[in-house]
Amino acid sequence: MVRVAIVGCGKVADQHVQAIRRISDGHVVAACDREPLMARQLAERFRILRSFEDVGEMLRATSPDVVHITTPPQSHYALGLQCLEAGSHVYLEKPFTVTAAEAESLIEAAQRRGLRLTAGHNHQFTPEMLEMRRLVEQGFLGGRPVHLESYWSYDLGDMSYVGPLLGNRHHWIRQLPGQLLHNNISHGIARLAEFLDSEPTELSASAQQSAQLRNLGGEDVMDELRVLLRDKSGTTAAFCFSTQIKPGLNRFQIWGPVNSIAVDLMSGSVIKHRGRSYRSYLTFLVPPLTSAREHLVNAKRNAANIVRRRMYQDSGMKELIHRFYQSICGRCPPPIPYRDIVLTARIMDSIFALIHADAKREAIDA
Amino acid sequence: MTGEFIAPRADRILVTGSSGFIGAKVVEILLEYGFSNLRCFVRPSSRLDRLEIALRRFSAEGCVELVTGDLLSPDDCAKAAAGTSVIYHLAAGFDKSFAGAFMNSALSTRNLLDAFLQRGQAKRFVNVSSFAVYSNRTLKRGAPLDETSPLEDAPQERYDAYAFGKLKQEEVVHEYGRTRGLPYVILRPGAVFGPGKKNLSGRVGIDTFGFFIQVGGSNVLPLTFVDNCAEAIVLGGLVPGVDGEVFNVVDDELLTSTQFLKAYKRQVKPFFSVRVPYPVAYGLCTLWEAYSRRSQGQLPPAFNRRRCAAEWKGNRFSNQKLREKLGWRPRIGMNEAMALFLAQFAPRAS
Repeated sequence: MVRVAIVGCGKVADQHVQAIRRISDGHVVAACDREPLMARQLAERFRILRSFEDVGEMLRATSPDVVHITTPPQSHYALGLQCLEAGSHVYLEKPFTVTAAEAESLIEAAQRRGLRLTAGHNHQFTPEMLEMRRLVEQGFLGGRPVHLESYWSYDLGDMSYVGPLLGNRHHWIRQLPGQLLHNNISHGIARLAEFLDSEPTELSASAQQSAQLRNLGGEDVMDELRVLLRDKSGTTAAFCFSTQIKPGLNRFQIWGPVNSIAVDLMSGSVIKHRGRSYRSYLTFLVPPLTSAREHLVNAKRNAANIVRRRMYQDSGMKELIHRFYQSICGRCPPPIPYRDIVLTARIMDSIFALIHADAKREAIDA
Repeated sequence: MTGEFIAPRADRILVTGSSGFIGAKVVEILLEYGFSNLRCFVRPSSRLDRLEIALRRFSAEGCVELVTGDLLSPDDCAKAAAGTSVIYHLAAGFDKSFAGAFMNSALSTRNLLDAFLQRGQAKRFVNVSSFAVYSNRTLKRGAPLDETSPLEDAPQERYDAYAFGKLKQEEVVHEYGRTRGLPYVILRPGAVFGPGKKNLSGRVGIDTFGFFIQVGGSNVLPLTFVDNCAEAIVLGGLVPGVDGEVFNVVDDELLTSTQFLKAYKRQVKPFFSVRVPYPVAYGLCTLWEAYSRRSQGQLPPAFNRRRCAAEWKGNRFSNQKLREKLGWRPRIGMNEAMALFLAQFAPRAS
């Protein structure tokens, strides 16, 4: 049984504890938050035996096998290092660290100590993403990916999230280099990083503020982002983050030289597109019918997963945690390759650098 | 209400949540009572329309101080509480998550209390809570629910983050009363209604499944019209000899769920609704809860026995304590209150 401690007892901590409870190989032994009331409320609700306000004391008193760090990202590096130094494996919520340099240093520290790290890219482990990965590994694409597209949207209507950050310049999200984008895009970028073979040789990014956010008093916060990338092998990728696209999107599409796959994480579906051509008017009949069949298969699979009680809103997190604990026990490699974690962080660094440069230029022009 | 108050009219009074539905009305009634040395605390993202209307009514824009901040910041709390003798704490957290609700209710209250005791001249802290803190699980249908009734002991099982936040907030206030000598009063309003709030109370029913399901029908709603509720809150901060007391806030001549829904449909719009008797709803909630547990939360326990009882069981409510100890009387009767509530909706096209 893996003994787990949670550091940071805010909203995300609930998801972690619930996901850990759904797997058989984890047990939460401690809750820690620098605000003792927050630690106590989590411990009380989930019947966690011990709560702490000091991480060092918690590590000494409980020696957890794994620490899940669910604090704001600015504290990830220092807390992660402290936990590694105490001999615990670490699960860091997204974004993994504030910068790629911090990510690299943390990974190096873990490797030096023979410990494991993972990033909270739980959307990579939903049933539909696992199915997509299985198809890619089986060679369904027919070669290296030619092009990737990732869409991630966020609804500004949820004022419980944007309200506090818009009202407070000192809010931790406002203190991140990429502000709102920084806290939201890592899931969408991580999907691209997985299939890019190296650091992009070309990257362009453009960000702006939506009229809706401007009306909400968004000040300098950007909420619309478009990114284009190309790696050494020539694979291209596009990323779109939007608060305005309706209906909301959480989608990944990967095109190969023969076939392509579209994953819709909102509806939990994987659609295979085969590069087949049809004669004459069959072009207008067969592909839509094939597509309809694909959707039906997805609906059937999802219904079966519901009946078998396998479909959770956080099924990706449950799967990621399970795989991470398996890797700690030496049964498999870390669920997210360190290369992917670092590449995600580097791409994010580059995006924010470009956005800042644009903003500076615009300020000078103005 | 006549007689002496614990604070002279020149005292500095703080109202948190002052731009809200009830808060703006509390400010208005304080001004009406002659308390003009007010400090109104608002979030930077708050819409101030209601508060501005209240201030304009009493030409008080110049004398009322507006303080912007976040109660999770001890510095902002210190700024808000400095020099105040009475605090009306109405700021509420409506976060759907338990941690968020706790943070915005209990933690912000703790910060405010620390600031009040350090920087204020604490005469009274008025904690505005909610009927949501009660559990009527052990009460029979139709039994009276009053200030002595049991509190919810498992808000997580009720899947009610708001109730959890309010319960923890009350715990903090009680603790400060016990250990730090904080003079306080707790008010628990029922379902507050009035112009400016258009949605139907969840105690009438739910529209989760695409159409309206009325649960029960003969169950009495713990209604309180916003003006009546605000006056009870104001008196809670001023009347002497009630420190440490808890008051339920409900009006007279309470309506049943069916009476309320009928009036709403008649005036606002006719819509399709299905009435589910309480025992059937309780049975369905039992099944939902059992499946939720069996599936380890695949289906969130949004409908469960505790919530069903708390919202739709049907109890009797009383404002006797409020009348006796605070001298409160509803300034607006139920008929007039309903007319004012319904008047905010545009008349139906004939």
